Amino acid sequence: MPDLQTELPGRRNCGKMATVFAFFVDGGGLLHTIVIILLGLAVGVLVGLMGIGGGIVLVPAFVYLLGMDQHLAQGTSLVILLPPLALGALMLYWKNYQVDLQAGIACALGFLAGGYFGGLLAISLPSRDLKGFFGLFLVFSAAMLWRKTEARGSSGNANA
Amino acid sequence: MPEGAPRLVAIFLMACLVGVLSGLFGVGGGVLLVPLLVLLFRFDQHRAQGTSLVALVPPTGLLAFLAYYRAHEVNLAVGLMIMPGVFFGGLLGSKFAQSLTPVRMRRVFAAFLFVLGIWQIVSAWRR
Repeated sequence: MPDLQTELPGRRNCGKMATVFAFFVDGGGLLHTIVIILLGLAVGVLVGLMGIGGGIVLVPAFVYLLGMDQHLAQGTSLVILLPPLALGALMLYWKNYQVDLQAGIACALGFLAGGYFGGLLAISLPSRDLKGFFGLFLVFSAAMLWRKTEARGSSGNANA
Repeated sequence: MPEGAPRLVAIFLMACLVGVLSGLFGVGGGVLLVPLLVLLFRFDQHRAQGTSLVALVPPTGLLAFLAYYRAHEVNLAVGLMIMPGVFFGGLLGSKFAQSLTPVRMRRVFAAFLFVLGIWQIVSAWRR
């Protein structure tokens, strides 16, 4: 992995960009494109349904369906976080008074700061280890999701 | 749980930690944020999900994205093609979420993530 050592400025990515768009034209093919668009739709439903970002499904899908390397899958997954794609879903929650705006903004600021250091950490790891750690992260997330369903029944706690 | 400013600071600090994981794994972080808001801050389930979506609207992943981009680990074309589906799927999904309490669905999803996670671990560190 030679490009880990060389800290290149963003402009040097031009060569890579060319190959990226070549993928559009011939490398990927129509079937590939359709798979990607359908994948986006499926992930979007999860986003609205569970209030999550979708990357947790997107990254493994990139690795196993499109054969991406772990680092590339994670970097590509971050692209969907750049535009406000969750806006439509958010509005529906907003109409039902199910949004705590202050808490949400605090979370957004925390993400912005923490995300950068997480990104740097990921780049410094070998792809294989990163893949394994991502697996552990998925298992942990699964446990959290499962626990959440049980938290409802026991919400009448002492400090309420 | 403390109210007012201390509560917001606590949420901010929690989000910082989730943000590190978010950058480390290239995900949005909502998958951890939602359960943490419910378990630590006693949010109602729908409210936790709605609040988590607030954090996904501004480009909070921007700095993490730049870190990957500089290391040539981004496929921009695939990322762009995913977007329309995510937006419209998101609308569809939140409509569903309003009409049902998807406890069973969430368990199926959790089980799915668990299997996926085990698969990733095995395929990464097999030899």
